[in-house]
Amino acid sequence: MTAPIDQHNETKKDVTFRVFRFNPQVDSKPYFDDYTISVERGITVLRSLNYIKEHIDASVSFRAFCQAGICGSCGMRINGLSQLACTTQVWDVLVKSKEPGIIKIEPLRNLPLIKDLIVDMDPLVDKMKHYSNWIDSTMPEASMGQKEFLISEEEFLRYDKATDCILCASCVSECSILRANKEYVSPAVLLKSYRMNVDSRDAIHEPRLAELVKDHGVWDCTHCYRCQEACVKSIPIMDAIHGIREDAIESRGVKDTSGAKHAEAFMSDIEKKGKLIEATLPIRTNGVVWTLQNLLPMAVKMIIKHRTPPPPPLVKSAKGIKVFRELFREMTEHVKQDHKSHKK
Amino acid sequence: MKPFDVVIVGGGGAGLYAAMEAMKTNPSLNIAVLSKVYPNRSHTSAAQGGANAALANKAKDDTVEMHIFDTIKGSDYLADQDAVDVLCSEAPKIIRELENMGTPWSRMEDNTIAQRPFGGAGRPRCCYCSDKTGHTILQTLYEQCLKKGVMFFNEYFVLNLSVNGSRSRGLIAMNMKSGKVEAFPARTVIFATGGYAKMYWNRSSNAAGNTGDGQAIAYRSGIPLKDMEFVQFHPTGLRKSGLLITEGARGEGGYLINKDGERFMARYAKEKMELGPRDLVARSIETEILEGRGFDSPAGTYIHLDLTHLGADLIKSRLPQIREMSMQFEGVDPIEEPIPIKPTAHYSMGGIDTDNFGRTVMGGVYAAGECGCVSVHGANRLGGNSLLDILVFGRIAGHTAAQEAGKFESGTISETELKEQLEEIRGIMQSSGHYERYGALREELGQTLALNVGIFRESSLLQKGIQDISELKERFKKVRVFDTSDVFNTNLMQVLELKNMLDLAETVAAGAYARQESRGSHTRVDFPVRDDANWHKHSLATMVNGKVSLGEKPVTMGRYELQERTY
Repeated sequence: MTAPIDQHNETKKDVTFRVFRFNPQVDSKPYFDDYTISVERGITVLRSLNYIKEHIDASVSFRAFCQAGICGSCGMRINGLSQLACTTQVWDVLVKSKEPGIIKIEPLRNLPLIKDLIVDMDPLVDKMKHYSNWIDSTMPEASMGQKEFLISEEEFLRYDKATDCILCASCVSECSILRANKEYVSPAVLLKSYRMNVDSRDAIHEPRLAELVKDHGVWDCTHCYRCQEACVKSIPIMDAIHGIREDAIESRGVKDTSGAKHAEAFMSDIEKKGKLIEATLPIRTNGVVWTLQNLLPMAVKMIIKHRTPPPPPLVKSAKGIKVFRELFREMTEHVKQDHKSHKK
Repeated sequence: MKPFDVVIVGGGGAGLYAAMEAMKTNPSLNIAVLSKVYPNRSHTSAAQGGANAALANKAKDDTVEMHIFDTIKGSDYLADQDAVDVLCSEAPKIIRELENMGTPWSRMEDNTIAQRPFGGAGRPRCCYCSDKTGHTILQTLYEQCLKKGVMFFNEYFVLNLSVNGSRSRGLIAMNMKSGKVEAFPARTVIFATGGYAKMYWNRSSNAAGNTGDGQAIAYRSGIPLKDMEFVQFHPTGLRKSGLLITEGARGEGGYLINKDGERFMARYAKEKMELGPRDLVARSIETEILEGRGFDSPAGTYIHLDLTHLGADLIKSRLPQIREMSMQFEGVDPIEEPIPIKPTAHYSMGGIDTDNFGRTVMGGVYAAGECGCVSVHGANRLGGNSLLDILVFGRIAGHTAAQEAGKFESGTISETELKEQLEEIRGIMQSSGHYERYGALREELGQTLALNVGIFRESSLLQKGIQDISELKERFKKVRVFDTSDVFNTNLMQVLELKNMLDLAETVAAGAYARQESRGSHTRVDFPVRDDANWHKHSLATMVNGKVSLGEKPVTMGRYELQERTY
């Protein structure tokens, strides 16, 4: 590795890399080490880490392989944002540093830590297996290799972007649901599931979808869009998640799961009142028994603190509800039309 | 541990295809894949351009026979013609098989798999998925292996082959997560660890881990390596990083331009121009640079790969990765301005000597892909034939090992053997008397190889290269591992990889020094012509008493007689 120290006559900057350290063999808790090196324009974070490893501290541990943004090994949090070290320019992230001249380097979140910047990828692989993230071809194995499926450019474009995914787990690290629930399917796996589901060669669309609508599945996403914002390949991950949901409602109906019922309840409230009727939302989503079992203690606390939402008859329609209903009707019609033409 | 029937080392295209095929051949077998990275990280993912197969989707008159001829001619007649027959005849079937399993190929207007022109090919027969072909193939294979329930040992670094006389008993590997040295007793072992071109370090397009681990282990176990002197330099590496700009960029119509604004390929390959074979284009660029017609910059002399005339739409739809890489690593948008490039070490034609079934001379040991040498690429590989090679011969090796596993007893690996291995590692890790920095050794190795065993070779340069490598090997004995941890010791792994590269570098330099002719990627300034009378043969490098011993093996000929190779 060439030293990031000058080969060019461009100006250089002293940059401090504040690197997360943890060796489970000796450390009881993580800490940070500071390494200050001189960095010219055009140098990536990975080249800087390589330089630190080769010249200052060989024990700094991270994964790196292709160094060209295609293998996905070097995902890490750089100044708080999950990205690939090999495609991230030092000078670019320096601008976003909270403390001038200091770049903070931390491991990805939401995956078990192994050492320093290395996290365990096995949970992600296990989820790929759980959600059958593969094509189970409609063609029997014995007849493979004889002739091609004929696939239109249009179908190819439906999964083209999704197949850019390099499983770097930046989206996994940024996902706000995973922080609360490690069992959540995770954005990368939803993306792959979507990619498989829209492929006409695949034979297990239904069972895969049935798994996706269960607990910890596609309905748990809260649309925070952080996965999509973090995606190093600029894949519209949320489009994939919405795609699975639309598919689920269309092919499995709105009464299918709590997620679908929740979405349906939202739609009906908005149409009627222009706002939510919160008091009955849990019952309509999860049923009476579940609500009594899970929310009764909270309801009692809310009553004591006078924080209960108003009962349904007291929820007044929002101002301008007539105009709104008209807009709402027009919008839903539009979406339906859109779907029809998309299907074709 | 329960003995395995088949253990595959490496989780790239060859390894995964082998695993899948072995399971298909006999589902009751106990099969495992060991990989030092998660399989989806493997370097197969970096192959952008595509895989050749005479599907005749684009050019209706394309035939397997034409593919065979192009490959043999491209190899400068060093390829074994029976092996090339297998490669090209199996090509259409294997591309369709991948398609049937879900690989997302780009499509033509009639909904068949799209094909594009590639260097050295008489017809447009390179099947692709925009410029992420290798990536999508690797994903498909990984997905299918997960579906089949292939047993993966990810992030295991293989240390040694356990040998009993003329056959293997299995492998010894280090679990990176724990640092433990573990035994993998196995009836059969398939090496599919990729190439060794990373030994050129900064002048290489390869991933950091393409250190020829499988070849080095085989070599130290007495298995011969074949044609190691043939290292392909890709014409278009990015100036600063050596990273690769796919031949697809020229396939789509890119120009190579020197500082006089001249499309200089007209001087070297009048007809094919930029789409001449790789060795020829790389030499042409190097000549332009050496003769002062390159652009000067603080980051080295370079020439231009100009795509600006192709237009924004084509670049965005067909070459998006190229555009991204040019912007990320050179700060250049190819829609607006030409990309600065120079040749970079890219592919190793040489590897573990195998027959057409992937068998080596050692019972129960097989090799496939860039790790092996059948040989289908001879002295120079054609673009689009490497993905094809790993698929076709990965599958064949997997099938053969699964069929033959029953022939070999399941050996056991003794505690003593494990202990010896552990002692060896402890020896490397001890600090007293160890002070050499591995980073420096690695970089010096790359420098001496690029200078003395590079594109243009010559007797005195090669002697210097051999001398340098031998000195580096001495210094390696004093190399220091600073990280003392057992858990995920990447420092130790990099040192062990360096050891592999040093052993192999010796075979590359020795082979290059011995071969007194110019053929394919091997260009001797002091022996500028191909010498069929004396050198139309494979070279074999075997380790004898810790030193390279060179031998030879005849080339299998067939329908095609030796001809001069012009484009």
